[in-house]
Amino acid sequence: MYQYNEVDQTLVDERVEQYRDQTRRYLAGDLPEDEFLVLRLMNGLYIQRFAPMLRVAIPYGLMSSEQLRKLAHIARTYDKGYGHFTTRTNLQFNWPKLEEVPDILAELAQVQMHAIQTSGNCIRNTTTDPYSGVYANELEDPRAYCEIIRQWSTLHPEFAYLPRKFKIAVTGSTEDRAASQVHDIGLHLVKNDAGEIGFEVLVGGGLGRTPVIGKVVRDFLPKEHLLSYLDAILRVYNLNGRRDNKYKARIKILVNALGVEEFSRLVEEEWEYSRDGELTLTSAEIERAKGFFTPFDYDVNAAADTSFDQKIAEDRAFKTWYERNTVDHRVEGYRIAIVSLKPHLKPAGDITDAQMDLVADLAEKYSFGEIRSTHDQNLVLADVKKADLYSVWQGLEASNLARPNIGTLADMIVCPGFDFCALANAKTLNIADQINERFDDLDHLYDLGDIQLNMSGCINACGHHHVADIGILGVDKKGEDWYQITLGGSSREDAVLGKVLGKSVAADDVANTLEKILDVFVEHRQEEELFRDTYKRIGMDPFKENVYALAH
Amino acid sequence: MPLLINKKIVANDNWQSIDVESLEQAQALPSGDIIVPLSFYLENRDDLLGRDGQLGIQVNGDDDLQALYAEQDNIALVAVEFPIFRDGRGFSIAKHLVRTGFNGEIRAIGDVARDRLALMQSSGFNAFLIPEDRFSEEDLNAFTEVSVNYQGTAADPRPIFRR
Repeated sequence: MYQYNEVDQTLVDERVEQYRDQTRRYLAGDLPEDEFLVLRLMNGLYIQRFAPMLRVAIPYGLMSSEQLRKLAHIARTYDKGYGHFTTRTNLQFNWPKLEEVPDILAELAQVQMHAIQTSGNCIRNTTTDPYSGVYANELEDPRAYCEIIRQWSTLHPEFAYLPRKFKIAVTGSTEDRAASQVHDIGLHLVKNDAGEIGFEVLVGGGLGRTPVIGKVVRDFLPKEHLLSYLDAILRVYNLNGRRDNKYKARIKILVNALGVEEFSRLVEEEWEYSRDGELTLTSAEIERAKGFFTPFDYDVNAAADTSFDQKIAEDRAFKTWYERNTVDHRVEGYRIAIVSLKPHLKPAGDITDAQMDLVADLAEKYSFGEIRSTHDQNLVLADVKKADLYSVWQGLEASNLARPNIGTLADMIVCPGFDFCALANAKTLNIADQINERFDDLDHLYDLGDIQLNMSGCINACGHHHVADIGILGVDKKGEDWYQITLGGSSREDAVLGKVLGKSVAADDVANTLEKILDVFVEHRQEEELFRDTYKRIGMDPFKENVYALAH
Repeated sequence: MPLLINKKIVANDNWQSIDVESLEQAQALPSGDIIVPLSFYLENRDDLLGRDGQLGIQVNGDDDLQALYAEQDNIALVAVEFPIFRDGRGFSIAKHLVRTGFNGEIRAIGDVARDRLALMQSSGFNAFLIPEDRFSEEDLNAFTEVSVNYQGTAADPRPIFRR
């Protein structure tokens, strides 16, 4: 993984002291509230319903055991002993003290971490496929480009006060596990007819109150032009994005207002100035970045192991976990293991300090000391030898991190909702519990197959409810929590926005409604068909009829 | 209002900023070095250019920036207004001015205060007019708080990997 050099370290150290001084001036009354708000947001600090919330950046979801141990230490020392992983692959602390945040940032800087640009109207943490570098069908490892973007976007002087937040995702294969088409910019590594590798560039995707799928502005961008082209897009946005209404300020609104052709024309015109200029990536820089993400020194005898087959034959629980929570690795004899942060009746994405330490230890022992966080709020140990899987599973199982539910209805994306968030209209955690209680039989979940269920507590859509097979949106109706359900969305390579099923349902009725939806699926599905495929085939009407029939 | 140029407090500002109302009420164009809004400049271009004294133009992100860039050889100063703290369009205006070879003064006015001075300077500003109540001598430290820049600056446009 990327290792800071002296320059990178100087930046985070100086940034800590700068923020310490800003906090001091604010507490002394020398810095106005509204200005400090913008400055603290650029350092990841929100004021939530009960306390400040600090969001720590995990660049493209990759961290070391040492870094995860530091996060555990911070959770223990400065918070209530846990953290929360987000869809941006970052970690949130829910109970830090405002005046202690500079100290937390100093602790983070000791392990090459920070909270820079995890909030505010600036370029946020760039995300990618959690299986980067270990997935068999990858064109190229996208992480080198993510790191190049990370450096370019960090404390960018011109783009620190954009009309609104700005998110970039990069994928390295034809499969999309980064929801790239609902990002302000989605970059897909592709090969052109000449066999060269570059980027397909999408702009203007996003969720929130105006969900939009990104549009292609360039089919093929040679990789050396990555930064100059991003620079052109950002400048066109910075000068032309709306600033009169924060709900219409995202780049998706600008792209829709201008039309993608006109927007692309403006970008190309702007790009003419910087194309082939100083921002052009040198091959030395690309190679330098790639050098941090070279394959590990894998055991050539890993595939010869026989102990794994024996354990699988002996231990049914292990076999179930193996089938559900591990994925093919590009190297024979290795697997990608997913750490489920969706234990039964616990908030999605939450992890305690002890669990963080345990995962850090397992990674160090069995997965080259690296951990990844995923867009759907789980963790990944990407390089586990098959012979070691049993030990990894035992460790996870003992810490309630091995519920074999990856990809099932229980592997939900859930925002923290009204219990924590000052923006939320409705609670989400109680609804997630209700669903988990109703669908607590794993065999039933396996029978239903892969289903993505996402839930948001308000239309800001942090839980990505628009792009799930089943989406749930909490709404407030005269002081009561109600839930609107959408079906048929996807954040993958076939990205599409879900459609509203009908009028919202009462809080007590969410699990009942899901049951009715799933009954229709089970009745109509053909052989091993997945929910999304049945939905595509039969459409919304049968679901609608079954859910609302009895209400008449 | 304290004026910073080249990271130093300038005692005397030889520029006078004049709003449209005062310009329209005046019998004749004022003498000396004056800053006028872009719209007024475009309507009174020839008279203004025929006058003695240097000329500056004031803009913000709502103005027709192409019209400004077309006139930049005729003027010695551009005052870029930051109407509110969150409005970041001025950074890109400065970038455009530097890129197109404007070598006069690029002055940040409006909501200008310590915590954005370094970003403004990197984007191309070389003068900063800070409201009296927001100014303190310590503001001069702002330029050196963070010494690292990855992207390149107006003074040295090379990104870090070309240095």
